Amino acid sequence: MRQVLKNILSLEDRPRSEKIGFIIFIVIILVFPWVVEGSYARAVMIKFLLFALFGLGWNLIGGYGGQVDLGQAKNVGFGAYATALMMVWWKVPFWLTLLPGMAFATAESFAVAYPMFRLRGHYFAIATLCVALVWKELFVFWDWTGGARGVEIPIRPTPDFAYMQFGSPIYYHYFIFLLFIAQLLFMNWFRKSKLGYQLQAIRDNEEAAASLGINVTNTKVITYCITAALGAMGGSFMAAYYLYIDPDFVMPLDLSILIAMTVMVGGAGSMWGPILGAAILIPLDMYLGAWLGGQKRLGIDYMIYALIMMFIAAREPKGIWGVFERMRRRR
Amino acid sequence: MLLEVRNLVKEFGGVVANADISLEIERGMTVGLIGPNGAGKTTLFNCIAGYYKPTGGKVFFGGKEITGWPAHQVAKIGIARTFQGMKIMPNLTVEENVMVGAFCRTRDRQIAKKKAQEILEGLNLVQEINIYPTELPIATQKRIELGRALATNPQLLMLDEIAAGLNPIETKEIIQVLKRMKEERDLTLFLTEHVMEFVMTISEVVTVMAAGRKIAEGPPKEVAKQERVIEAYLGKRYAKGQ
Amino acid sequence: MELVTQIVLYGILMGLIFALIALGLSLIFGVMNIVNFAHGEFMMVGMYIAYILSTTLHLDPLIALPIAAAAGYLLGVMSYHLLVHHILRGPMVAQLFGTFGLMLFLRYLAMFIFTPDVRSVGQGILVGKTISLGWLTFDVSKFVAAGLSLLLFALVYLMINRTKLGRALKATSLDAEAAQYMGIDTKKMNALAWGIGGATVGIAGALLAHFYYVTPTVGMLFTLIAFATVALGGFGSIVGAFLAGLIIGLIMVVSGQYVSELKFTFIYIVYFLVVVFRPRGLFGW
Repeated sequence: MRQVLKNILSLEDRPRSEKIGFIIFIVIILVFPWVVEGSYARAVMIKFLLFALFGLGWNLIGGYGGQVDLGQAKNVGFGAYATALMMVWWKVPFWLTLLPGMAFATAESFAVAYPMFRLRGHYFAIATLCVALVWKELFVFWDWTGGARGVEIPIRPTPDFAYMQFGSPIYYHYFIFLLFIAQLLFMNWFRKSKLGYQLQAIRDNEEAAASLGINVTNTKVITYCITAALGAMGGSFMAAYYLYIDPDFVMPLDLSILIAMTVMVGGAGSMWGPILGAAILIPLDMYLGAWLGGQKRLGIDYMIYALIMMFIAAREPKGIWGVFERMRRRR
Repeated sequence: MLLEVRNLVKEFGGVVANADISLEIERGMTVGLIGPNGAGKTTLFNCIAGYYKPTGGKVFFGGKEITGWPAHQVAKIGIARTFQGMKIMPNLTVEENVMVGAFCRTRDRQIAKKKAQEILEGLNLVQEINIYPTELPIATQKRIELGRALATNPQLLMLDEIAAGLNPIETKEIIQVLKRMKEERDLTLFLTEHVMEFVMTISEVVTVMAAGRKIAEGPPKEVAKQERVIEAYLGKRYAKGQ
Repeated sequence: MELVTQIVLYGILMGLIFALIALGLSLIFGVMNIVNFAHGEFMMVGMYIAYILSTTLHLDPLIALPIAAAAGYLLGVMSYHLLVHHILRGPMVAQLFGTFGLMLFLRYLAMFIFTPDVRSVGQGILVGKTISLGWLTFDVSKFVAAGLSLLLFALVYLMINRTKLGRALKATSLDAEAAQYMGIDTKKMNALAWGIGGATVGIAGALLAHFYYVTPTVGMLFTLIAFATVALGGFGSIVGAFLAGLIIGLIMVVSGQYVSELKFTFIYIVYFLVVVFRPRGLFGW
């Protein structure tokens, strides 16, 4: 038990520069809402933490596992809808909707995972994309999900902790930060765990992995399910924070791509990569989007994304963190 | 009897790669499997190690039938292998490569790490522990792959052309390492090679395959004299001329 | 009975068009084992070319066909040299994201130029014309599109199997390394595959614009339909893509008749079932 706890908390195998960087990062996030007053900047910060959270989750299957999953948005949707619908239908407090959402995402992923992991590479990626799109189309089609109109969570007259409705965005900031830290600690355990190493072995060479006693399919399925649960967790937060969801908002392909992209840009298969990626892409997205939107110049932000994406793919498949690592090794 | 293969057949869409192969390996032996290219050696390895499902026949390990078991279960029961043309994990360091092998027997990272270090020490790879394997020469990579297989605590170690691509000095070194590891760890070795010298110096028993069939078996010196073996390697005319 | 005949015929027409869209994707996949996520965006370029010709220049959108083919060819070859060539050796993740990036770039470039508005080709010889065969009524443009699809399939098929260039292309798809030893410039072959892929789908786009609206995001849907078609036909098989296109067309039209909101769900499910349970596709071997 103590060993597990140590594995979760310890960064002993990382160089000192990383530890210092991490502490500075934590301090910045902690004091941020007290220093920065602007509500847009605060919203950017919350979205950054949300996507860092999404990225950390996706990094499991996509980065450490090397399985390009282009359907993470479906899990975000499951979480968001579980929270929104339960809160609207039965007035269930937010906190009790987290687990059902994660459980549903896990169960669905488990059900589709075995056939899906008979596929590799491109075939797998397209299959994940198709499954996510089918769910989105169903959520638009069904009436009980609110269809294309989506679900609105009624605003309570007074701030209510049980329903995650606060008077000030500061609370949301700290709440998402808490989720983020929890997931970061989980990742810190994961990367040093048996599962983590076995998954990386599978990414690098499936046949060799099998020769070392690793059940390749089971390992992938377990990871896929964990990734799904983590995505749903972020989805639940989205519903409670934005108070309005529809399939185009919480389940679109663009969301799946953005999640995968933060990881790719930052550095797939590394602990800090997804955070770095989100730190670059989300502010870029929100500030550039706002500025260009004001200028009525649509699409430039995404074109810049796309150029970054192509450049990373062609020149730096290991992302920005890969560049850091290489520089460090050269020294 | 540690490994027993009984009447194993493997066909690929009508092409017979292994026809009715039977062989037995006793605990503690070193058995060489030789034969010209395309004789079906690697296919036999893959059938035993769970990479192919045999079309017919049976495989027993330590008296237990393991025919058609998936590769990871075969590894768990105590058969480790290396691959022809190497399958090293390029994005894990040398130490992590071996640790993955050690995780076959433990959940604990500290234990796996200790085991990896111990094995790498035995293979003279302590210097390379934090390097990525693709930055190292082929001979070193082969030793890493060997170490990774050893880390799974095998009883039977199957080596598929481990000397391929090595120069004579490196080949001698790997023979030394193998002999030492066998002593220290109580291993049984089963190895293929299409280069004769390597197998002949290390094996106690040699099995010869040609065109998917087993054509001879026995101590290396005797087998090397058999006409059908020479024929298989060098052609009929050469065998007659001798 | 009348309805069934109408639906089946309509399905075949749509199927031929889907097959034409999938042709290039199948070719590219066959030659270099890479999936082009921007395929539908190549098609979109063809659609916008038809739109500009018809609306801005007041020319008949049929004139767009050769222009769209040339533009698609250029786009394909350029994409190959500037992007695809550099990601071919990279990890699978990089390959996926490379063409995904290309898709996003083209899509949002279109958004930037044309805004997200839904547009359609206003006028042209074929636009809006219908033809009656007894009780059946069809768009003339769909007939022409289906006929051209047949013609292009025949051309590509003959080119690959009868010409020296085509055989070099085929050799590259069977074993790129061996082809290189035989003195085939595989880089040129890869670029050619991308060129032909772009040209055929560009033509498909110009034809589609006659009866389908154009938006910057139109590509994704057709990319997915093309994926499903290619998977169903067996990746890399030209004849397979043709037959699979017909099947997909029929599924779409029939399912669209009953639950029109979910017609794409059926396509995705078909893809999923095919790749999982028969990864070689129905006509692959």
